[in-house]
Amino acid sequence: MPALQESNAQKRKPEEVMEKPPLRSSTASIPISPYETSSSKAVTSSKSSSGPQQNAVVFSPELLRIYYDRLFPYEAMYDWLSYGVEKDFFNRREWSFTIQPTPEDEIYIRYQSFKDLEEFKSAVIKRQPNKIDIGAVFTHQPKDHNNLSKDVFHTEERELVFDIDLTDYDGVRTCCSGANICNKCWKYMNMAVKVMDEGLKTDFGFNNLVWFYSGRRGVHCWVCDESARTLSNDARSAVATYFELPLENEEKSLDLNTSLHPMLARSFGVLEPMFLDHLVGEEGMGLLSNQEQWVKLLKTLPEEARKAGIAAELDKEWTKRDVSPADKWKMLKSRIEKETKKEGAKKQRKFKGDESERLEMWPIETVFRHTYPRLDINVSKMQNHLLKSPFCVHPKTGRVCIPMDVSKIDSFDPFNVPTLPQIVSELESYAKENGESKNIPDWQKTSLKGSMQFFLKTFLNPMKNEQRKRRMEEKAKEEAFTGDF
Amino acid sequence: MFTSSRQSSSKASTSTTNFFYTTPPSYELSLEDFESFALSRLIVLRKIEELKVKGLDRNQYNDALKRVVNLQLPSSGPSPSAKKHNEKRDLASHFILRLAYCRTEELRRWLLTQELALFKFRLEDLEKRGGKDMSAFMKNAGISFDKITQDEKQSMQSQLRFNMSYRDFEASSFYRIPFAEAVDLIGRRLVHVRAGMAYVPGGKLVSIICARFRSHLSRSLAKAAASFSHVSSDTRIGPLLKNMNKQYTGRDFGKQHTVEGDMNASNVDEYAQRSMPLCMRQVHDGLKKDHKLKHDGRRQYGLFLKGAGLTMEESLLFFQNEFTKIMSADDFNKNYAYNIRHSYGKEGKRQSYTAFSSTTIIMGPRSNPSEVGSHHGCPFAHSGDASLAALLGKMGIGGKDRDDIMAHKKNKMYQLACAKHFEVTHPGAAKTEGVDLDGVGNHPNAWFNSSVQYWKNKEPAKKDMKGKINTPMAKVERAVVSPGSGTAKEVV
Repeated sequence: MPALQESNAQKRKPEEVMEKPPLRSSTASIPISPYETSSSKAVTSSKSSSGPQQNAVVFSPELLRIYYDRLFPYEAMYDWLSYGVEKDFFNRREWSFTIQPTPEDEIYIRYQSFKDLEEFKSAVIKRQPNKIDIGAVFTHQPKDHNNLSKDVFHTEERELVFDIDLTDYDGVRTCCSGANICNKCWKYMNMAVKVMDEGLKTDFGFNNLVWFYSGRRGVHCWVCDESARTLSNDARSAVATYFELPLENEEKSLDLNTSLHPMLARSFGVLEPMFLDHLVGEEGMGLLSNQEQWVKLLKTLPEEARKAGIAAELDKEWTKRDVSPADKWKMLKSRIEKETKKEGAKKQRKFKGDESERLEMWPIETVFRHTYPRLDINVSKMQNHLLKSPFCVHPKTGRVCIPMDVSKIDSFDPFNVPTLPQIVSELESYAKENGESKNIPDWQKTSLKGSMQFFLKTFLNPMKNEQRKRRMEEKAKEEAFTGDF
Repeated sequence: MFTSSRQSSSKASTSTTNFFYTTPPSYELSLEDFESFALSRLIVLRKIEELKVKGLDRNQYNDALKRVVNLQLPSSGPSPSAKKHNEKRDLASHFILRLAYCRTEELRRWLLTQELALFKFRLEDLEKRGGKDMSAFMKNAGISFDKITQDEKQSMQSQLRFNMSYRDFEASSFYRIPFAEAVDLIGRRLVHVRAGMAYVPGGKLVSIICARFRSHLSRSLAKAAASFSHVSSDTRIGPLLKNMNKQYTGRDFGKQHTVEGDMNASNVDEYAQRSMPLCMRQVHDGLKKDHKLKHDGRRQYGLFLKGAGLTMEESLLFFQNEFTKIMSADDFNKNYAYNIRHSYGKEGKRQSYTAFSSTTIIMGPRSNPSEVGSHHGCPFAHSGDASLAALLGKMGIGGKDRDDIMAHKKNKMYQLACAKHFEVTHPGAAKTEGVDLDGVGNHPNAWFNSSVQYWKNKEPAKKDMKGKINTPMAKVERAVVSPGSGTAKEVV
């Protein structure tokens, strides 16, 4: 039974207000009205297979109730988060709910915990949370935390998580700002996912990771390997800062030098083509497609380039004749190379970071400034940070937080993500055509099918198999030791 | 904490190179050694803390630390037996301090910080000596790193060499370490990482070994905390362990010091104007104003004056001069003289008491001067911000100097505030020859001594205080001052 008593549901308990973890990445006080008409962005999905268009409402308590009754994947979540441990593990996981009993009142309840799948499911159905967050696995059941001293009750393990949000790209995206997104700026997410995914797998050897669309303007990564879950705060902080570049301040130099870390060098190799494909041209951010833009970019060249008159030279050339944005970039790079690899230029370098090195690194810095993942580092640093649960429905957009197939990331379209009204209507259509079939799970009757199958096939089942194998190996070892065969 | 296996040979526990402290000592120790070893180590660790706030550059820091380590915890020795004794001291003192500092979170953190600094200092020294000694150390500490083969090194050259010169690369060995053990290097992108392993060049091992030491010690301290109550009940060592962190480790000002410029009843005022720390200045001014002091003030000031060289006779005279402005000589003799004689060891159990250290004044049992008419205690610790600022202002200390002192006060670094006060009132003291600043801020008498040295050096032409007093005019003035009459004139 969750800690919050029924009679107190209307009041905002002081400790709950204070409990709001300042570490939550999304904006906390969303003034949600379930009766609000959707914004033009969060319109109907354009999937031809969907039923009658639902323009007016993307999110409502009635629709949510159907979702929680029939579509939210409780079993899969329980399976996943138990990590193969049957007893005394799932019950120590913290969950938090954001509920809205009346349109004006939003209540945030922390330290929820459930002893098993049944309790979990019935709590969600009872509470109808607008948002569900997942916290850490603690030493004791979180619902008992008030009876325990701080020394005794603390986090034990927690997935390594990352959160990338498009609002952090407001400094470089010119198409949208704030909560708005479009297909143009969504490309930044593709770039971030590619760099992070490869880094986490190749450099750190993590295998069990899964990316989720956050439902509005970002992506989350959940790294679930046991080695990741047991990382101390210091260690996960180190992993996050390993990837981090100081991009929040658009004016500040990244201080890259020619001793570029292999991970950054590799990332540049991945990002430069995407920079050229998606950002420099008119169909992208237009960084090199019109004079106003390219002059702006050339202005960011270091002093040494200005001394050599590179900007003026190129500006003249590009006004004279038509050069494609991609070619402009190539010209720019080779002109810089000519300058920095001049006879004796390297010898003249007095110290690292001096002008000529800054110039040599400028193309890399520029690409990074526009494409490199912008992490919300606070999300990753601490075990007790709460992150939105996968498969939630976003109250503002009605979109489901579905997993993303990294191998097909370039074709991921956030505007084509299954929405609440859409899948509910799909359920109804299916029932009309086939009757209330109990042979297949309800999600298979909707557009969620692809996402769930991907989740099970690519992430959950392989992880469960690994766990099973490991347990069998351990058991065999133990039996060999004690002589029981 | 004493659960580590006994199998590791006595070699490990006595080897000088094992300052990783994996195994506690198993020999017996006299109580005297127990205490003195611990104190030696405490001196070193306190020095480390002191040096850290001084903002020295690396060489200055290392030199200063080397000096105190060689003095208190030398690792080598002229003879094998001396060496063995030194090893014993180093090992035992570490474990004794673990015991003394395990009981609260704050103490554990303090010990961890200072021991880590000492460890780093020794390890860097070892690494410089290089080769065999380093390997022996790692072996003794149970640290094994997986060194990659030459072939592997060549095949990964471009990734491994990204921040090294070709020459350094060729000369380096690389070690493959699970990334969670090299978090510092990973976070700063200083090493290549692949498949969950960090590839660390030999030169960066220090950082990793330090991290290992830190977590090892942290774990041990946490475990020790659980058994502390059991150990502290031992009457022989319990009290010592419980009070270890309050131990004063500077010079002993119990004995009377004959500082050049002997103090006597008539020149206490003069000394008070320029050579007394604020705590004593405050008491002195209080005495002058009220013509008496409460018990704590009498003790604090009386013992200080004793440590500053005031003889018992002069002390009696001084206090009598003041007190008899509001009482008769008889009353003074009846109520106060005995205690003064007692504090000089001339009455009762004949124990000569030691002047209070700063810690005692700040933290001691009756240190909070909350009663009206109290003037004792430490003004940096016990005065309100406004009154302290006003007091400094009245003394002519303002602007940035005052702000700096106030900042230290606000950060509860009272002794730094005191040291800063000295700095501000004795410009150029650090560079003045013959002035030893050791202990300033830790003991009022050290403050006093350093100040007297300073003024002596600054004003060699002028006669010293004693000489001044004996000018004809001063002699006359002194003759006028007698018990029960007038005030001692300030001789300028």
